[in-house]
Amino acid sequence: MSGVTRAAAACALPGTPLAAVSAGIDACVHCGFCLQACPTYLTLEDENDSPRGRIVLMRALVEGTLPPTDADVRTHIDRCLGCRACETACPSGVPYGQLLEGTRATLARVSPNPWIARFILFVFARRPLLWLAMMGGRVTRALRVSALLSRIPGRVGFAMAMLEATRSPVQRADYIASSDGTRGSVALLTGCVMEGLFADTNRATARTLEANGYRTQPAPGQRCCGALHAHAGDLDTARVLARANVAAFERAGAELVAVNASGCGAMMKEYGELLADDPEWHERAKQVASRVRDVTELLAAAGPQPGAPLPLAVAYDAPCHLLHAQRLSEPPLRVLGAVTGLELLPLEGSEHCCGSAGIYNLIEPETSARVLDVKLENIARSGASIVATGNPGCLMQIGAGLLRTGSRARVAHPVDLLDASYSRAALP
Amino acid sequence: MTSVTHEGVEHIADTIRAARARNEPLRIVGAGTWLDAGHPCADATRLDVSSLTGITRYEPGDLVLSARAGTSLADIAAATREHGQWLALDPLGSADGTIGATVATGSCGPLASAFGTPRDHLLGCEFVTGSGDVVRGGGQVVKNVAGFDLVRLVTGAWGTLGPITEVTVRLRARPEVDRTLAVALDAEPAETLWRWLRESELTPLAAELLSPSLAAALAVGNGTVALIRLGGNETFVRAASDAVGTLGVAHEVPSSVWDRLARAESAAALAVRVSALPSHAESLWQRALELIAVTGGYAHATCARGVVRCVAPTEGADIDMLRTALLRLADGVSIVGERMPAHLWPALPSARSTRDLEARVRTAFDPAHILNSGVLGA
Amino acid sequence: MSALRSRLAAIVGDDRILTRTGELRSYEADGLPGYQKRPSLAVFPGTRDETVAVVRVLADTGTPYVARGAGTGLSGGALADDVVLLGLHRLKRIISIDRDNARAVVEPGVVNSRLTAETRRFGLHYAPDPSSQTACTIGGNVAENAGGPHCLKYGVTLNHVLALTVILPDGTVVTLGSPNGEQEGYDLLGAFIGSEGCFGVVLDATVRLTRDPAAIRTLLADFSSVDAAAQAVSAIIASGIVAAALEMMDANTIQAVEASIYAAGYPTDAAAILLIELDGPAAGLEDDVARVIQFCRSAGARDVRVASDPADRARLWQGRKKAFGAMGRISPHLVVQDAVVPRTKLPAVLATIQRIATEHRVNVCNVFHAGDGNLHPNIGYNADDPDEAARVHVAMTEMMQACIDAGGSITGEHGIGLDKLQYMDRLFTAPTLEAMCALRAVFDPDRRSNPGKVIPIHSCSEWRAAPSVRAAAVR
Repeated sequence: MSGVTRAAAACALPGTPLAAVSAGIDACVHCGFCLQACPTYLTLEDENDSPRGRIVLMRALVEGTLPPTDADVRTHIDRCLGCRACETACPSGVPYGQLLEGTRATLARVSPNPWIARFILFVFARRPLLWLAMMGGRVTRALRVSALLSRIPGRVGFAMAMLEATRSPVQRADYIASSDGTRGSVALLTGCVMEGLFADTNRATARTLEANGYRTQPAPGQRCCGALHAHAGDLDTARVLARANVAAFERAGAELVAVNASGCGAMMKEYGELLADDPEWHERAKQVASRVRDVTELLAAAGPQPGAPLPLAVAYDAPCHLLHAQRLSEPPLRVLGAVTGLELLPLEGSEHCCGSAGIYNLIEPETSARVLDVKLENIARSGASIVATGNPGCLMQIGAGLLRTGSRARVAHPVDLLDASYSRAALP
Repeated sequence: MTSVTHEGVEHIADTIRAARARNEPLRIVGAGTWLDAGHPCADATRLDVSSLTGITRYEPGDLVLSARAGTSLADIAAATREHGQWLALDPLGSADGTIGATVATGSCGPLASAFGTPRDHLLGCEFVTGSGDVVRGGGQVVKNVAGFDLVRLVTGAWGTLGPITEVTVRLRARPEVDRTLAVALDAEPAETLWRWLRESELTPLAAELLSPSLAAALAVGNGTVALIRLGGNETFVRAASDAVGTLGVAHEVPSSVWDRLARAESAAALAVRVSALPSHAESLWQRALELIAVTGGYAHATCARGVVRCVAPTEGADIDMLRTALLRLADGVSIVGERMPAHLWPALPSARSTRDLEARVRTAFDPAHILNSGVLGA
Repeated sequence: MSALRSRLAAIVGDDRILTRTGELRSYEADGLPGYQKRPSLAVFPGTRDETVAVVRVLADTGTPYVARGAGTGLSGGALADDVVLLGLHRLKRIISIDRDNARAVVEPGVVNSRLTAETRRFGLHYAPDPSSQTACTIGGNVAENAGGPHCLKYGVTLNHVLALTVILPDGTVVTLGSPNGEQEGYDLLGAFIGSEGCFGVVLDATVRLTRDPAAIRTLLADFSSVDAAAQAVSAIIASGIVAAALEMMDANTIQAVEASIYAAGYPTDAAAILLIELDGPAAGLEDDVARVIQFCRSAGARDVRVASDPADRARLWQGRKKAFGAMGRISPHLVVQDAVVPRTKLPAVLATIQRIATEHRVNVCNVFHAGDGNLHPNIGYNADDPDEAARVHVAMTEMMQACIDAGGSITGEHGIGLDKLQYMDRLFTAPTLEAMCALRAVFDPDRRSNPGKVIPIHSCSEWRAAPSVRAAAVR
């Protein structure tokens, strides 16, 4: 036949999260432009581990030609980093992130995620447990246990290195930034890992925003953003958390919501889609989502104002959820550009995922490590002493990799660098 | 597309079928210019295709022309010049040569520097296989990937897969300004010219290096001379002329010098081409000079392509001396013979790794091996 | 099959062989959706030696196979219908770059645009630039004789490949063409390029690199009729100005692009736009630009603008290069066509295509290489609607016939593959198809390499003559 016709098929998985988003599959014209954008395809060299291949598998699920219990489908869907670099490369606008979440949620109903994933998601959804975990992390770090164990082989060693990587490489004195508030009021998503392990960065975020004319204010009652849950297919928990945050930021009343973890920012910007089927919350979610900004967006909009010289050789690595999900490439560079004396070095493959991808590095350690190796080689070639990136997962993944390979380079959030620069100038 | 065969083609097909039935070898003859070229050919009945002449389709707006194989290059040039166009292919030899022979022998000249060889100009062709089948490969459009490429296959096949009866070629608009400059080059002339070509962004239509003997014969200067043909709009040609000036003292010469270059050699002369990576142009050139120092004659080089052509007189020449000189010339580089005395051919080394495949191609298209047998070697 | 599997696994490793339904699904299609063929097995060698060993096992066991690069082809050429699929995308080494002689030796799985990226530091690039260049591989480009917008000036793959090392279906490794210097004998290199995987598998390719132009001017001309745009194309070509690219997009395409993330700022109310690129040395370039603008205006352009900077230029091109994907937005399914007509016939053929589209109530988007008459009429539709699908099929067939009638060809760059087999005997005479069969038989006497592609099997005399051959093919 001519290749034009095909047999129409009814949806084989009615009522599933995948069925709800399956129209997105039809946007794919199978052109293959996504292949070279996909870190797992480049690393694993199998089209099943590419966006085009995974969409084929999703289509097979919808059409019923492969069952959701098919082990190969599960393997290749699990192996996706969810970095969404394919969305940037896609000329047809396939909503890959949505498709992936829908597929994962559907597969999770058939066979649950691995215990480690469930355990982490369980902890993140419960404030007391999360507090305990972060406290444990801080103690381990403070007692230098993480430093001691960061080079031992295996998962434990890697986890320790990740923890050790949360130590800020830049020294700065506390300074008080006073704001005229002309740029509006901002509530900060303090986040789980950010507040737990990167509290300095949260403080730096508030200070730099203040220094650039924003008035920061707290938003009590906020919780985990739900990104980890959504990416792993636990959409129900993600929705519970989203509702809590929508309510918290409504109560806070600030004009804008600042997020300094790009994975969380991407999630919050998509709260409208997440709660699309919830008549009571949909509009409210959309409203809050429309106020969400990455911290670098806010700073870039204000200039940001330059600080004192900080002579560092820095390479910028774009977090996937900033570049591909939020489509922001310029703002972080503007932030780094405001640090006088900072030399920005080109980093090959900076648009590619580092392999962190939420809790991916814990669930798929092998693939994650292979993706990270490519990143580390590029960093070594760049000659940078600091790798700047605006997401806790990336900071810990790359930071751990650098520690474990004996590199002298360290990781830092762009805002930390700006903050250090301001602190030297004793601004304002 | 329907098969547009005319009487002449049918006649050729009949002749071939009959010859095949009798196992009788045929020697394809057009204008006869190339009869003495190629490897010595077995005695054979002549299959005359010279009556197949005339331009069959020419739509100037398409810049595409179809002509029967026996049409002379001069006729094509005349027809296209009227519309400000040309077939940018200038094989050496007289302009009475035919388009069919040019394609069959894969012949080109200095313009190949910018425009490539016949394979790059040919869009379609009709030929008659050794079984007497009339085949039409390619088409009449400038871009075409339908089916397997029979067009490239018969280009340069010297008629051994079947006489070409019609060709369709790509034309180009003639440049607004077409100017030729001669520059004398001293030390390492081939290296100098090649490096200049590599580094200059003002790519000429042709850049041919002439040995002193050839430069003198063409009256374009003393010593080694580069003939550089510039084409384009006035601004471009002016800038390019200035750039040529960086090579040395340049003076303009009439464009007719290219015709004189093409016709410089006698039909009896030995002609061979040696080639290598373009970056080796100078060492090739020196070898060529060594050869003509012994044999007399001249050499010219298309440096952009890394091809040096040597032409040497053979009348009264010492064959052993020629053989020794040729072997030295060919040592370690590619050599392609165009014309030479019959008993010199075996001396030419051939490093073809694809003989087996080529033999199979030959058998597929000319099962009885009756067409131009031997002309491409064993 | 399991015996074959273990022999292959011994070469490439167990994890580089796929046999399960779920794993093979991704390899059932190439860049032309609409056809799905399931391979019996997929094997992915990682080195040249492994590839040679794999092909020899296939030869030894008489197993048919299909080579596949990135699977971006648009004629169904890389589909393996119950035969072995030989994936070559892991062979992605750039073996060498010779800056002096402007050439590179690459493995077949090297992605087209990566070669250009790697040679940019020398001021060189690989000229053939199919729209899929960010994804497609050089091996696939060789198999299809790929073109692209810039081949108008710089030539197609055929003009840029100097030599190939190939492994024939019988396991023999040969070099076609010569990487250094001329070669006497048949142009087997020319015959191999564009043979769509039917003659063998490329192990490495020596390609020509092209100097980056010193200056580039990209123009966007906006027309209120397709005809006017076509007239401008004719005028430019006749003038002797060789544009680096001369691309046309019609209203439907413009709207698709502007609705995508690659919105290029094309005027959405234009009936057609021309994207014209002039490049070369700065000297004389502005004169040509001025003349081209004049030709466009004389033909009735509403507006002609020159891209202001490299970013603007990139944006204009991005819209063109991603147009095919952008059409995925308009309708659930898409057929991508490829045909060539003599350039003077463009206006007439475009009108005919529109008439056919109207008559059969299908939505056609024209995006094409106007400079060489290479049309891409693409039809968006819903395959789940049998009536619409049937109309699309009829319209497409009529459009192809219109191109053939105009003296054109059924493919300028996508190849015949599976999709265009049906048109082959409209374009070529029986003896010509026979000659093509004979040529294929030289390289692949058993028709094991990409079986069932390019030449309709009934065109081959052995097929007609021998019932046993026929029976074997059916099996």
